[in-house]
Amino acid sequence: MSENKIILGFETSCDETAIAIMRNEELLVNKISSQIDIHEKFGGVVPEVASRAHSEMIRNLFHSSLNEAGIELSEVDIVASTDGPGLAGSLVVGYNFAKSIAWSLEKPFLAVDHMVGHLSAPLIENPNLKPPFLSLLVSGGHTQIVLVEKWGEYNLIGSTIDDAAGEAFDKLSRYCGFGFPGGPAIQKIGEGGDEAKIDFPRPKTSKTFDYSFSGLKTAAIYYLQGLSDDQPISKKDFAASYQEAIVDSLMSIFEKAVKETNVPTISGGGGVMANSRLREKLMIFSEVEDKELLLPSPKLSTDNAAMICVAAKNNLITNELGLDDIRLSSVIS
Amino acid sequence: MYKLSFTTSGQYISAGLFDNKLLGSFIFKSDKGSTSLLIDQINELFKKVDLERKDLSVIYFDNGPGYYTGLRIGFSVAQGICASLGIPLVPVNGLDALAFAAHTSHRKICSLIDIKRNEFAYCTYNPVPGGVVRNTDPEVISVDNLEIKITSDTEKKLLVGNWNLLNNKKILNDSNSKLADPKFVTAEHIFNVGERLFDSDNYPNFNEIEIEYMREPDVTLPKENLVKKVNFYD
Ligand SMILES: [Zn+2]
Repeated sequence: MSENKIILGFETSCDETAIAIMRNEELLVNKISSQIDIHEKFGGVVPEVASRAHSEMIRNLFHSSLNEAGIELSEVDIVASTDGPGLAGSLVVGYNFAKSIAWSLEKPFLAVDHMVGHLSAPLIENPNLKPPFLSLLVSGGHTQIVLVEKWGEYNLIGSTIDDAAGEAFDKLSRYCGFGFPGGPAIQKIGEGGDEAKIDFPRPKTSKTFDYSFSGLKTAAIYYLQGLSDDQPISKKDFAASYQEAIVDSLMSIFEKAVKETNVPTISGGGGVMANSRLREKLMIFSEVEDKELLLPSPKLSTDNAAMICVAAKNNLITNELGLDDIRLSSVIS
Repeated sequence: MYKLSFTTSGQYISAGLFDNKLLGSFIFKSDKGSTSLLIDQINELFKKVDLERKDLSVIYFDNGPGYYTGLRIGFSVAQGICASLGIPLVPVNGLDALAFAAHTSHRKICSLIDIKRNEFAYCTYNPVPGGVVRNTDPEVISVDNLEIKITSDTEKKLLVGNWNLLNNKKILNDSNSKLADPKFVTAEHIFNVGERLFDSDNYPNFNEIEIEYMREPDVTLPKENLVKKVNFYD
């Protein structure tokens, strides 16, 4: 890809309507219109509500993004959008809006896999991220360990067999009335709490790198149900202990994967990667094991469109572009 | 200058390019996986009729009622093109488009569109010279209530739209009702109404255009949603 290209990126796979504009390495604008307020009262993302909200928000967000970036639409060289995985009704909004803009401008359109977006997100702040590396992708929708041996070749070596890590936060948070999304709510409540107070189960060692979180959630609910009226529990300690169990589970399997693949660099992404306890443990682990750790900042870990821009840019090295999708290869095997 | 019209609200997705007459069109049956077919097919249509995108002057689109995913795809494509080219977008109600297509009749016109989950969007019209006028506001109606409405009304009626999808013999055999075309909305029906709305400047501001869903979102609360009384202290 030649230099000085402007990429306009869209991401609407779940409950964030997001648009970003990049000129070369420079992120001109990275706008996210969150629907948290809308979904909070349901304690989770309601697909049809999310889809309607995307439809209503996208055109204003589009105009304000161009204004803030200080560019004319005609200056855009490439349009990119997430095309999955995600909520079908939400994906179609950003994807079709973006593709129609590309068509109108007679500019190339790139469909970007959402997970490739997360994998590529560290490049926004660390353009020197180079394969081979191992990435831990954790959010409300996915828990994956991906081995990137070279750009474009994504090997899914571990994933969850039931709930995603973010779901484990969300579901318990909903049960306890802590708020939505669950991860940030539990982190906040658990601040200063004793993370060793309750000994929640940790994953048993196994041959695979697969995760399971439903047992932990059930154990936490049983624990609460087993409390008698004269035996209250500190909210702080409970939240801290639950968070610690999730983070430990994520770490133990990821650590095993790092050791077995022997990659020099580790990375990650997804909403749960904004969790400060997880980031802290990754940092300690990388120092002990002498690995390079390149994480996106918390703001770029959660869903955003900058990661779609940078994934598109990163993959546009030799391709001949046309209206026909060049779908950036998917992680999902 | 050329005009584009399309509909994505039902079982058939169609688009047409017009100046004062139809220049080219397509129609296909929608199904899962047709997410990006609308813009791809519009692209093919422009190639076929050899027109420039920048010569497009207005878009007329079916903003519902109908199937949610199709409507969202259509709305997103319409918004994307109009926002990029800086051209007006005119929403056309599908029930109106069906009734208008039958306006030369002398009967009362009953327009019906499937919105899934055994519910239909329904509206009645009277033909007037050069068009139709709504008798009531469009409403969401079940098959049972529709059967009562149609069979208890002795006025001569013309049934346009998705009546065949009802599978209701009493309605289809009603002696005062005549099943007529169109059976579904096409780009040409949308164009015919859109053109009138556009010429008379009778359409909303770009930022105020919405989809006519006609009912609240389908919200199924997760099972764990009940907040339990937990014995916490702060
Ligand atoms: Zn994500």
